Amino acid sequence: MRDPGMQTDEPTDDDRARAVEVNLTRAGLRLARQLGDGLGGLLFDRLFRILADRHPRAFAALVELPDARLLIDPVDAPAALLLRVGPQLALRVSERDAQADATVRGPCGRLLDLLEGRIDGDALFFRRELTIEGDTALILALRNTLDGEEMDLFADVATAAGPLRHALPVARRNAGRVLRLLDTAHRLAPPPLRWGLAALERRVAGPRREA
Amino acid sequence: MEPFELICPAGNPAALRAAVDAGADAVYLGFRDETNARNFPGLNFSREDVAEAVAYAHARKVQVFVAINTYPQAGNLAPWQRAVDDAARLKADAVILADVGLLDYAARRHPDLRLHLSVQASAANVEAIRLYRDAFGVRRVVLPRVLTVPDIARLNAEIDIETEVFVFGGLCPMAEGRCSLSSYATGLSPNKQGVCSPASHVRYEPRGGDLASRLGGFTINIFGEGEQAGYPTLCKGRFVSHDTPAYLFEEPTSLNAMELLPELKAAGVRALKIEGRQRGKAYIATVVAAYRRALDAFAKGQAVPKLDLDAMVEGGTQTTGAYKRAWR
Ligand code: SF4
Repeated sequence: MRDPGMQTDEPTDDDRARAVEVNLTRAGLRLARQLGDGLGGLLFDRLFRILADRHPRAFAALVELPDARLLIDPVDAPAALLLRVGPQLALRVSERDAQADATVRGPCGRLLDLLEGRIDGDALFFRRELTIEGDTALILALRNTLDGEEMDLFADVATAAGPLRHALPVARRNAGRVLRLLDTAHRLAPPPLRWGLAALERRVAGPRREA
Repeated sequence: MEPFELICPAGNPAALRAAVDAGADAVYLGFRDETNARNFPGLNFSREDVAEAVAYAHARKVQVFVAINTYPQAGNLAPWQRAVDDAARLKADAVILADVGLLDYAARRHPDLRLHLSVQASAANVEAIRLYRDAFGVRRVVLPRVLTVPDIARLNAEIDIETEVFVFGGLCPMAEGRCSLSSYATGLSPNKQGVCSPASHVRYEPRGGDLASRLGGFTINIFGEGEQAGYPTLCKGRFVSHDTPAYLFEEPTSLNAMELLPELKAAGVRALKIEGRQRGKAYIATVVAAYRRALDAFAKGQAVPKLDLDAMVEGGTQTTGAYKRAWR
């Protein structure tokens, strides 16, 4: 979370780490779509079980909601997600034009920020970075339920990943630092070296790194 | 000089922890039902949540106020009375009430419970405030957002209970507790059901690059491409009058009275309140930290740092509201 008195245009280590996570999420969505409903569905079920173990209160609240479908559409990712709330709580990869009771659209990074409560949903909506359609009450219920948790998607998954549990948060922190060093080197380097660094940077952050 | 008390909102346990950690002196919250004026889906505290919240806050010397500030339904007082009983049992430091019947109940049943008068009671003159003090022992009044700073100073000179004023957040431009705009459009109101312009009656429709907001079937605004949006309340609707679409009551804008700290102090205000129990914990952490920093600087006689809170506010603009302007 940024300190309002300290705003700068420079991306922080946190921003850089987030860029890595956005790329991981996009890659995950691409993979899930390729795997199809069977194997992809199993993956999502596993993810849900991990999150439910870590955040039982939120998941209990989602199960108590009336049966409804919410389309979550990260506009800069290869696929969308369809969340079914209510007694048959489930998450599946989906086409962007799938039928749903409500839709939330926004950049992948912003949706991740929202999921983890790093950003205020109303502020995003005021700034028109988030578009919502359909059942507003459903979207609000989901937003408020998730905001009540201290959710950190990648750390939560890492915690469940046994021996990887300490490695992932460290790797993520370091990804931010490595990308910052690359940024600095990039600015100071002569042009030919700069192109080489750019290529290296793309390999760390993925092809569509956002600052 | 006694420092201002900073009163901060929390719509869920994570937001409460964010407010406490960011420097709140007190956090106000509501139970998960129609007994408070932010009865939104997925928001608010169960009884167990309140017990945990009180433990967390008290361990850090922060107070917890419970808002029970809607008007009980005729013939169905039980949920409101139970809310008062539970707030007392759970060791809330104060309850924030609006209804005279409920104030009477709380004063008789829980004589040691500190009573604050909610902004929803809209007590804006000396006689009304004295009545609440004399009849129910109210110790603090939250002033409606329709008074100027000189009005507040005059009021404080004549009353002997504490005043609390809003300094940041969404604006309710009408006399609070009296507004029927939401009831007119949806049949549900902040005063009885605890929700103005309930989400169940709100629809957003992208129209090309524009965004239409609809409330109870009425189109109340169309935001052009790139234009900042606001809450879907009728008071901030844009309507066509004499062929010109315009904001008739209030524009989508948020209150920020940080520049008025010296005037509010001179006017005798005891506590400053941040609006936004419906907002996410990121808003709470950012706004509370900004105000904490400002109040600490002010208490030390230093210049109040200029903090950029534009990204947090409705319509992307800030106003000092009625505090600084003559009421229209
Ligand atoms: S319509 Fe506006 S003035 Fe009336 S209660 Fe709602 S927010 Fe307040």
